[in-house]
Amino acid sequence: MKIDEVYSMIENQFNQYGSRARQLRDEGRKVIGYVCSFVPLEMITASGAIPFRVRGNIQEPITLGDTLLETIVCPYYRSCFDLSIKGRYEFLSGLVIPHACDSMVRSYSVWSYSLPYSYFHFVNVPTVCEESSFEFFEEELKNFKRSLERLMGEPIEEEDLLKAIQLYNQNREKIRTLYELRKSDPPLLSGTELMMALTVGSGLPVDESNVWFDRVIKAVKGRNASPLIKGPRILIDGACIDHIELVKLVEELGGNVVADTICNGTRDSFPKTEESGDPIRALSRRYLDKLNCPKTYRANKAGTFEGDIASRFGDIGAYAKEFRVDGAILYVYKYCDPFGFEVPARKAYYEFIHVPMLHLEDTYSAGNLGQLRTRIQAFLEMIGG
Amino acid sequence: MTKVVILKDGILTFVIGPTGPEQRRLANKVMEEALKKARLPFSEIQYIVSTGYGRINVPFSDRQVTEITCHAKGVSYLIPEARTIIDIGGQDSKGIKIDRSGKVLDFVMNDKCAAGSGRFIEVIADTLGISLKEVGELSLQSRHPAKISNICTIWAQQEVAASLAQGVPLSDLLAGIHSSLAERIGRMVSRLKIEKEIVVTGGGGKNRGLLRALSEVLGEKLIVPEEPLITGALGAALIAREMVEGAKRDKMVLKTKERQLEEIEIL
Amino acid sequence: MTEQQKEVKPRKRMTATKAAASIGPLVKEFITETLKARAEGKQKLAYTFIVCHHEEILRAMDVIPIWTENFAGVCGAKRDAERFLQRAESLGLSRSLCTYALCGIGFDQWREELGEMPPDSPWGGMARPDFMISSGQILCDPRSKWYQASQQFMPDVPIYNIDLPYPLFQRDQDHREVWGYYHKYIVKQLRGLVAFVEEQTKKKMDYDRLRELVDLSDRTWNLIDETYRLRKAVPCPMGTGDAMNTMVPICFMMATQKAYDFFVELKKELEEKIARGEGEVENEKYRLMWGGGLPAWYALNDFNYFNSKGASFPVETTYRMVAPLYEMDIPETRDPIEHLAWRWLGYWTFWYDKARKRPGSEPDVERLINWIEEYKIDGIVMHEAFSCRTWHVGLIWQLHQLGKIYKPIPLYVVGKDGKKEVVMKELPSLILESDIIDITSYSEVDTRNKIDAFIETLESYRVNRAY
Repeated sequence: MKIDEVYSMIENQFNQYGSRARQLRDEGRKVIGYVCSFVPLEMITASGAIPFRVRGNIQEPITLGDTLLETIVCPYYRSCFDLSIKGRYEFLSGLVIPHACDSMVRSYSVWSYSLPYSYFHFVNVPTVCEESSFEFFEEELKNFKRSLERLMGEPIEEEDLLKAIQLYNQNREKIRTLYELRKSDPPLLSGTELMMALTVGSGLPVDESNVWFDRVIKAVKGRNASPLIKGPRILIDGACIDHIELVKLVEELGGNVVADTICNGTRDSFPKTEESGDPIRALSRRYLDKLNCPKTYRANKAGTFEGDIASRFGDIGAYAKEFRVDGAILYVYKYCDPFGFEVPARKAYYEFIHVPMLHLEDTYSAGNLGQLRTRIQAFLEMIGG
Repeated sequence: MTKVVILKDGILTFVIGPTGPEQRRLANKVMEEALKKARLPFSEIQYIVSTGYGRINVPFSDRQVTEITCHAKGVSYLIPEARTIIDIGGQDSKGIKIDRSGKVLDFVMNDKCAAGSGRFIEVIADTLGISLKEVGELSLQSRHPAKISNICTIWAQQEVAASLAQGVPLSDLLAGIHSSLAERIGRMVSRLKIEKEIVVTGGGGKNRGLLRALSEVLGEKLIVPEEPLITGALGAALIAREMVEGAKRDKMVLKTKERQLEEIEIL
Repeated sequence: MTEQQKEVKPRKRMTATKAAASIGPLVKEFITETLKARAEGKQKLAYTFIVCHHEEILRAMDVIPIWTENFAGVCGAKRDAERFLQRAESLGLSRSLCTYALCGIGFDQWREELGEMPPDSPWGGMARPDFMISSGQILCDPRSKWYQASQQFMPDVPIYNIDLPYPLFQRDQDHREVWGYYHKYIVKQLRGLVAFVEEQTKKKMDYDRLRELVDLSDRTWNLIDETYRLRKAVPCPMGTGDAMNTMVPICFMMATQKAYDFFVELKKELEEKIARGEGEVENEKYRLMWGGGLPAWYALNDFNYFNSKGASFPVETTYRMVAPLYEMDIPETRDPIEHLAWRWLGYWTFWYDKARKRPGSEPDVERLINWIEEYKIDGIVMHEAFSCRTWHVGLIWQLHQLGKIYKPIPLYVVGKDGKKEVVMKELPSLILESDIIDITSYSEVDTRNKIDAFIETLESYRVNRAY
């Protein structure tokens, strides 16, 4: 991969992840940490607090965290907990955890009692997606709103919420624009650069994140050549992959990562919130329905397996087509239930859309990268022709 | 193991050397030996492809390709009817589905723990004081293979030692160990939709006891090439030849490394 | 093919009560009945999960439940789960996932592929269902994804997934502030279940019958609680080993007269044992609580091992899925579905108020403290089953927090000045590790060594106790 000023600019900001949040805390702002795409960021922003995506660190062995939390939990989540216990996120005023998966829900007490933050809130996102679920979720969102109002000491008005929704939609549009730049062959920005840029954005207040993306879009558009050598176009499928090691490895071995359906990729940024009508209703629809995650149970309306998978994974097929993908890598953490149970169905779906797929099970540790290397290289050799 | 294959119209020569931590030195050594055997100067080798775990530690290789792709090529060259390859090495085991041109269609690997590779048998044979060469034959003598319930190499080691002390015949325990490994390999390979003919390569292919156990687990006959240890290196050589022929055809110049073997002194 | 040596079958486990001993045949009976019903084809059969407060609905409509978790447990107890687990793995499922689900999905795929039961299926196997009713609630993802994964091999079998949330304990909010809208949602979900079953069976719900069954299960709940409270007696007449059997009527036969009668008998048996001064263990030296974790179904003999060292188990949190209705502060209602929804919320928030009153406490920890005192507990055993996040994540922390806020044991120790002084210590605890049905994770030698060391600790506490 060619390193130029665009790469350096992005990498520079990426390596400073958290420093802006710390600055804001020093200025007296409240920074609220979150994990997972299900946390309604618009609500946090509307309250005047700043949402900050908590990350793990694949290079750092988990030590303190293991004295309090079992090892049979999602390893990425364990890493986030370990870093939190070690005080890396001392600038946070609190954490918001959603009902997304067992690892999160069952360790909620462990987190909320072991970490020194005064504000901890659980957003109970429904499991199924029916009319009554939206009604319930709207009440939960109102409850979340009340909890934030108590924390910040002032009410969240409807216009605050509408403004936040607009800002986030703008943010998502800008990210969409960045993704458009991956459509050329080879793409105008590498997967590594994109992941770094998105990560930077998730650590900034949304208005600053918008400015950041404008900067990145301008810089990338200014390029006259891709930083990558043309190679097989790869889609990364999985949950939250908050490090760049996987994408870097794929691109080092000759692949071009041009698309994804990961949490801190399209799952976070593609679905938009309706800007008309009741904002709470719009948020409940966006987070429960538009967001596509295995944790949300979608009933099989087709009555056949083929119909079921086409409906559950249709967005993957759409991205594969839109970004002209040659192969997909399904990257699942060990101990991940929502994705783990879907591996056979996803495998069948990729066969159905004729996209070769490599399934990797990983433990989120730097030591494992060597094993991934052989598999990824063999896969790229296989589809490279 | 470190192996080298030199290809001309057919296999000119091959060398199988030991494995170890000094991969650069070993690569140099086997290359030197092979050149001597073939009576060739190093400069006459047109292209070199390296493969395997140590592939990045071969200083004179022009290109690295994974074992999966290389085994596929090598086996297909030797046995054109092959469609499924099971490679059982000392550190890992692999299952590879190929088409008739030797192209990889799908693959599975088990490199996460010793109990999924030949290492499992090695460790236990060592505990029992039996050489790897004898362990397979001995296991075939069993009338009542023991059932080994532990899948962790260390625990299985303990279980075997305890059973031996209780008087369970050695051949039964060895048969049990072979069955245990065969089951794990079979389980891994069954993730591919197995198609005949099934070819076994790697050190595992030289163990008749393991071959019989694996054949039973899969319910199919297995083919083993005459030299099951060199199929990876052979495949790498075939790929090297394809590179040279392709470059000639497209009238391109291939980038190659300097043809010089390092003089490495042991301090 | 050379003959394989027969695997050594585990010695039959000794139970403390006759009631517990009668369970084996009971389970075999209801599995056999499901197979018979499938063959006759007159009643509908549904795959479903335990503790969804929906048995009343199913039984009111004559639907026969096939308890998939139970079947996996049976395979585990018979040490015949491995081939089904391997089958699931060959489909691409990771061994780190819930092994009950792997066993079930592996079995389903095999049965569908063969068009008949897999060879030598434990107790005849699981009958093919007419529909499947799942519920992940907010504690178990596998229970939301399992049947969906099996449906790949049975695409004609529809699923109804009941969403049954409950408010998590939050220190800054009383659960009553939110349980109104929780209740509304749960009622709608249960009514949705009724509508689904009506459609599948082409029958209408008989609400009088439903009301009767809800009343029966309410009474059964209270009876179970009264029965288990008898285990507070010294010596303790029945332990966790037996409770792993008596969980069968609680979890698989709720809302049947048989289940109610079972506990009438068990209660009588315990009262008689207490009158005779007869305990689970002849010479009871240590009273232990099974503080959390599903049992290792293939290693229930380990309870007898504990017994042989003088340890009894008066109480466990596992499968204690009932709470006394009369101690729940829930609104009254005549509508049976609304009552079920309140009972659901009442059960899950049972310890919230008490937890809020004690600094540093939390509902699971509060329950431990209350039962330590009520059942006179000397030590806690936890079991970490690697494939189950639902019941095993948080156990380490619970022990840690318990130790922080609750130090009830006065021990004599030698102080810095060489004089004997009394120090309040936390309860000793033991963490065992293996799995629910994957026996390859279990080492008997290792487990028993750990138990021995724990007994030594308990003994030293006993000997050095100040008062």
